[in-house]
Amino acid sequence: MAGAELHRTAPDRVGPCGSPPTRRGSYPECVADQASFVEDTQPFVGPLFGTAVRLTNNRSDAEDLVQETYLKAYRAYDSFQEGTNLRAWLFRILTNTHINRYRSASRRPQEAELDDVDNLYLYRRVGDEGISQSAEDDLMDRLTEPAVSEAVAGLPEHYRLPVLLADVEGFAYKEIAEILDVPIGTVMSRLHRGRNALQKALYDVAVDRGLLGNGTTATRP
Amino acid sequence: MTDYQHKPDCSRTVHELHTFLDREITDESRLRIQAHLDECPPCGHAFDFEAELRHVIADRLRTEVPASLAERIRAAIENAG
Ligand SMILES: [Zn+2]
Repeated sequence: MAGAELHRTAPDRVGPCGSPPTRRGSYPECVADQASFVEDTQPFVGPLFGTAVRLTNNRSDAEDLVQETYLKAYRAYDSFQEGTNLRAWLFRILTNTHINRYRSASRRPQEAELDDVDNLYLYRRVGDEGISQSAEDDLMDRLTEPAVSEAVAGLPEHYRLPVLLADVEGFAYKEIAEILDVPIGTVMSRLHRGRNALQKALYDVAVDRGLLGNGTTATRP
Repeated sequence: MTDYQHKPDCSRTVHELHTFLDREITDESRLRIQAHLDECPPCGHAFDFEAELRHVIADRLRTEVPASLAERIRAAIENAG
């Protein structure tokens, strides 16, 4: 392939196949072709890497994971079903590759169930702490990247993944179901528990870091 | 402590928090919830907090991509091709 073509900026628009329009394929036909693979998949390097970092908790491993994902996708691209969602397809390969890489040596560990936590966990705790609206805003400011990363990293993977796919990548329930190969009802229950568990983890991290707890004395009006 | 969930409507509304914010809900339910949020400040405030929190979480999890990664992938594919 010519280097000049490879370096072309990918179009912003995403077609009905979930991929940008290619040089060759019109939207209705959308022929998947290895010749257009790099161009078609280029826009998803960043999102895939972001999720890979949260899966592996390691930027170097994440780079390896994304590269392996792209090689697998490239080899399978001729069989990519047109009319389906290229972004979701790539994320499905990423998650499967991750599972195979890091779990092949041992059997898939028991998927621990999280305790059920009610909706609005953090909101209620902030209310219980009796902090003001401005302190509520401060809390948001204090949920720094390391604090949120720590809370997310502590989630069991089968909860962490749906939360990342929904709340960071913006996938719909149906797409997450396809990526993870589970029923939509399972996606919904994992999202529900995962998000609430994340809130509990965020609260715990915030307390550990002194962002909530003894120091907060203001009252909600 | 605020007084949300004192009414059955509040409890039902909070129960549907996630599907509402995900826009994975029927038009009928969405309108019913929106109407409740408009007339019930505690629930409205709670939903605003949740929406803001989601925004903050997604923002913090945004990851800088190594500049070399795209090139590395291109090279790997060319070698494989
Ligand atoms: Zn209410």
